[in-house]
Order: sequence, then structure tokens, then C-alpha cells
Amino acid sequence: MQKVIFRTLVIIAFFFSTWFIINQFDWITIFNVKELTSDTEEKLGEIFWEMIERNNDEIDDEDIITIIDTLVSKICTSNNIDQSRIKIHVLDSYEVNAYALPDNHLIIFKELILSCDNESELCGVICHELAHLQKDHVVKKLVKEVGLSVLISTTIGNTSPDIISSSVKTLSSTAYDRNLEQVADLTAVDYMISSDIDPLPFANFLSRTWGDESEIIENLSWVSTHPEANARSEYIISYCEDYSWESVEILAPSTWLKLKSQLKDY
Amino acid sequence: MINLQEFVYKPGEHEAERASSSYLMSLVALVGGLPLPIINLFATVGFFLANRKGTYFVRWHCTQALLSQLSLLFMNSFGFWWTISVVFGTEQITNHYLAYILTIILFNIAEFIATIYTAVKTGKGEHVSWWLYGDLTNLICKNKDAKSYF
Repeated sequence: MQKVIFRTLVIIAFFFSTWFIINQFDWITIFNVKELTSDTEEKLGEIFWEMIERNNDEIDDEDIITIIDTLVSKICTSNNIDQSRIKIHVLDSYEVNAYALPDNHLIIFKELILSCDNESELCGVICHELAHLQKDHVVKKLVKEVGLSVLISTTIGNTSPDIISSSVKTLSSTAYDRNLEQVADLTAVDYMISSDIDPLPFANFLSRTWGDESEIIENLSWVSTHPEANARSEYIISYCEDYSWESVEILAPSTWLKLKSQLKDY
Repeated sequence: MINLQEFVYKPGEHEAERASSSYLMSLVALVGGLPLPIINLFATVGFFLANRKGTYFVRWHCTQALLSQLSLLFMNSFGFWWTISVVFGTEQITNHYLAYILTIILFNIAEFIATIYTAVKTGKGEHVSWWLYGDLTNLICKNKDAKSYF
């Protein structure tokens, strides 16, 4: 019996040592994992963005884009995110929505910005979408909802526009897994705290928008497709209890008001 | 790691064939079960149960085939669920993950080669005992056919 126990331990030790030795090589570089992933994402992002661009009006007002850029720049700099890779698009739509596309496309709808009471609320949504991008949630969601084979054939141009359109709809109108949403929410809080942005307004934005059913509910896509906004708001507040932060305004109050008024008039 | 040993009796041709089939069964299951490791176990357990009233030589080799599948089941299951988590969940492709997958591929290949060798040798009536698995099999599988004259 002792011999069996000894040999079992030897086999287990042999397995873990093999794993340890193999782990000493940089397989990510050897297999070109990052390049392969980024090439695929680039192609998908391009195809999806072309589809969205055809069906929506992009706001190209320099003042508006500069203000949004200022917020994104502050978040990216404070969290070591390469801002040059983030492609921000503000769409002229009455839908309260924001979502991320492969290859770091970040789509924000005009109505979502207008429904934010302050810059912290908007930063919360931006951080949440940035978290989805940084954690590779976008492609994971597509693989799950659309299927790996469809995605691969999309990148080589073998997919019908209907499938591309339904993939875009999946990204824009359905929620991620509960786990992925929670990871994105809590990562967003981390990003906000690192950027000296108060994360509590983000939690308030979720619960306020969720509770206000007098609004046209079908337009509240960002909140209604992210289930249990009240629960999310609660765990964000509870997560924040472990942290302290300094809240520094990124935009001057007049700039925030200018952004909202320019969007209203757009 | 693999020893050719003398068995307590000389198995007949039919026995050798059945014992060899237990390894072939785990081999077929190994190919079919690569993406779903549980298939390995189901197929080998099925064959093991079908032969539990067989002769000592057949039972012994069915047991060794089953035990060798068990360790692979743990390794492959962990790799399988880690992959599912990478593709659909919150995990990302890391060096640890790739190293683990390569490790289990190596162990699967080693098991594959050892299984083919054992199936061929057992088919010829030779008794092949694996390092550790042979010892475990000796503990589990007793010779019920042996007659005591005392």
C-alpha cells in the first residue's frame, strides 16, 4: 500500500513538474496569440462598425468629441490603457445606450449622455464599456451568442449582411453574462477610483434610471438589457465601502453644461 | 514504466483477445473523448462492467485500463472546463493555460502510445503491468478463480 501511495505522489509530482517546466516558455509569443487575436478583432470591428455607420448618424461635432475625448483620456491615462487604440463614436440616437465592439470601438448614444446628471455618471458608463474591452468580453460574448464558426467566416467575408446585422444587435441589445457584467462593473469602479472620479454617481445612475419607469422603457436599452440594475447598484456601493478616493472634476461645470446643450441642439 | 510480467496462469487466446479489447475500448474512447473527457470513462466503465464476471486475466486488464483512464479524466476535465471558461467566461488565455494544455496533450500522447503497446502485447497473451496502475490493479482485482487446497 505504501508503494502505491509513494508512486501516486511521484506521478502527481511528475505532472506538476512537467507543467512547471513547460510554463517556463513564453507560449503566448511562440503561438502569436496576441497578434492572431488582434487581427481577428480588427476585422470584426471593421465589419461591424461599417454596418452601424450605414444605419446611424455619427456626431462629428469637434467640440462634443473633444469633451468626450477629455474624459476618456483621463480614464485611460490613469489606468495605463492605450488610448490610441480606443475608437470613440457618439451616435445621434434617442436610445439610452452604450456598447463596445471588437477592436476597441466604443459606441455612446447621444441620449445616454443627456440622461447623465454629471460627468461621473457618464464616466461610469465609459469605464464599464472600457472594462468589457480590456477584459476581452466582447469577443467572448460574440463566440457564445453567434458561434465561433460564424465569427471566423465573418472575418474571411463569408457571412451574409443579415448575420452581421444580428451580431451587431447582439452586442448592442443583449446583456453579457451576469459574471462578466459584475467583473465589468467592479473594474469600472477601480478605473474610476484610479482616475479620482467618484464611483457612487455611477451606482446612482443605474438605480435612478431603473426606478424611473415613467420614462419610455424601451428606450432605456443600456439599463434594461443589463439585468437587475438595482442589485448592481447595491454591489457597486458595497464594493466602494472598502475604498477611499479623492473626487476631482475633469471638466469645468460650464464645459459639462455646454456638452449637454450642444447635444440637445444637435 | 511498463513491465512485461509473468501472469499467474497462461491465458487462452479468447481471454487475451478480450483483455486486449479493454485497451482498444479506452483507445477509441480517448479519440472520441478528447473534447469531452467523460466519454472516456463511460466507455471504459461500460466495458469493465460487461467483463466483471470474466476470467482473472480479463478482469485484471479491464481494471488497469479503467484506472489509467481515471487519471486522464481528472487532467482532461480540468483542461476542458478551463477552456470553456477561457472561451465563454472571465478567464483569459495565459501562459499557465497554454502550458497546462500542452502538458495534458503530452500525457494523453504518452497514454495513447502505452495503450497501443499494451493492447498489442495483451492480445498475444503477454501480461503487461503499468507503473502504479499495475500495483493499484493488484490491490483491487483479486483472483477469484484461484482454488485453495488448505
